[in-house]
Amino acid sequence: MAVDSRRKTTNVVALGLSVLATVIGLFFLAVILITLVVKGLGAISPEMFTQNTPPPGSAGGLLNAIFGSIAMTAIAIIVATPIGILAGTYLSEYSRGSWIAELAKFINDILLSAPSIIIGLFVYTLLVVPFGHFSGWAGAASLGLIALPVINRTTQDMLQLVPSALREAAAALGTPRWKTMTFIIYRAARSGILTGVLLAIARITGETAPLLFTALNNQFWSADLSQPIANLPVVIFQFALSPYDDWQKLAWGGALIITVAILVLNVIARSLAGKQQS
Amino acid sequence: MAVVAGDLVDQAELTARAKARRSVVEDRIFYWLTLASAVFVVVMLIGVLVSLIVGSWPALSKFGIGFIWTERWSPVKQIFGALTPIYGTIVTSLIAMIIGIPVSLGIAIFLTEICPQSLRRPIGVAIELLAGIPSIIYGLWGFFFLAPFLQTTIQPFLIATIGNVPVIGMLFGGAPYGIGLFTAGLILAIMVLPFITSITRDVFQTVPVLLRESSYGMGMTTWEVVRHIIIPYTRVGLVGGIMLGLGRALGETMAVTFVIGNSHNISASLLAPSTTISATIANEFTEATSDLYTSSLIGLGLILFVITFAVLALAKWLLIRTNVK
Repeated sequence: MAVDSRRKTTNVVALGLSVLATVIGLFFLAVILITLVVKGLGAISPEMFTQNTPPPGSAGGLLNAIFGSIAMTAIAIIVATPIGILAGTYLSEYSRGSWIAELAKFINDILLSAPSIIIGLFVYTLLVVPFGHFSGWAGAASLGLIALPVINRTTQDMLQLVPSALREAAAALGTPRWKTMTFIIYRAARSGILTGVLLAIARITGETAPLLFTALNNQFWSADLSQPIANLPVVIFQFALSPYDDWQKLAWGGALIITVAILVLNVIARSLAGKQQS
Repeated sequence: MAVVAGDLVDQAELTARAKARRSVVEDRIFYWLTLASAVFVVVMLIGVLVSLIVGSWPALSKFGIGFIWTERWSPVKQIFGALTPIYGTIVTSLIAMIIGIPVSLGIAIFLTEICPQSLRRPIGVAIELLAGIPSIIYGLWGFFFLAPFLQTTIQPFLIATIGNVPVIGMLFGGAPYGIGLFTAGLILAIMVLPFITSITRDVFQTVPVLLRESSYGMGMTTWEVVRHIIIPYTRVGLVGGIMLGLGRALGETMAVTFVIGNSHNISASLLAPSTTISATIANEFTEATSDLYTSSLIGLGLILFVITFAVLALAKWLLIRTNVK
């Protein structure tokens, strides 16, 4: 009996601790989100979307930063999406376990988790040093390189879900392989591939480190991508660490905008992925 | 007439053949496009490595391999050593692992073994949302809330209690700064939770139902099943998941940059401000005034790249062995 009750006690204690661990995890999620909403909502105003980033000590908005972020994200995604989908196609449909494909898969998965600051340094030496100045193009390039592995990996996973009967039926009709892919398989995997693109957007929306030495920042309105361009993450970073109340307030407002955007993208991506799997 | 009909047949056959030939060409083009895109990723990785080596060459050739264990970091004197950032990176990641691993395991055990079916999905999604929050938000929160909170409550307590214990006390000596290694490690612990948890959960699910059920059938308690069946069975995958989390922690930049204090000091106390590789690069890169300075920072990047690549490759290799994606 004594052994039994000790076993039971151990069991209760251990399981109790695992419940506690879950509570701790959820607690931090809640605390972070609540802080963000409380501080962020107080900072959000119409001016935030109509005015540019202000000089120290005065009020203003985030218009130029929001524009810069959207512009760079859009370019990054437009370039990374076709490359990512094609790469995923090769790795899922054509490779048949060749060593180059195994290597590419392995490296892609590592790049998924690789520190983004390294990508920033890479793009810095590639696109900033030769031109002698920071630029929006360099920022977009670094974001694109971070988005690429995400789209590549999701495409691989989602193409695996398409039944091979579709490929065989198309082949039996004499359909060329590329037509099978573009007109049948991509359509069948459409919502899954879109999931990957959305996850990639969510991933690069909050990326800060690589932008610090590619796009840098710009206090004024600029739509010229060959010049330094304002963007939300870097503005948040600089304004949060400044001693000015107005700037800190804008940083919190920007942080809330980014987080809400990312969480919404995540939710949409999840529901699309669920649709693909069913 | 017959001749004309024959011509028609020939014509039809010719167009069909031309079409087939075109399809073959198009197929080839499509194939090469996909292959080129797949190889692009490999080329990119090589490009990263080459650019880091080239960029850091001035610093590496000046300081040699001693760059790694030189402590001094003096932009004024143009002497740069990577020891402090390397030390900070390793210590913060270790703190993150010491706190993060048990909590992640706990959450995974809860989700797979205890949680009612109806709550599994919502709680699982909530934990995964932690991974969606960008690192700059963690930094912002850590700087304005966690650091002041630790400074006024937990840290004075640690200094007053463990701080007086011989030997271990050295780790908790000094003043409560709020920012520093300990705070950075704590934030990293929260950030790696979702990554370790989700892999752990996946590998736990690879345990055959038969094994699980028969253990319960023998009268084992839930904890005993976890401890003696599930964890031994999934050992390799668990280490893979932990390595993946470690890879994330080592390279994490913005969250750490906010709360590490950016001070090039190695101090015995975990509560002291310090710096990490990524935080040093993020903080100082745009301020680097000399080529040697910039090159030293890229050298730090090269070290970080090598370390994280090794850790992530090991993680990936372990996970492939357990057949978890």
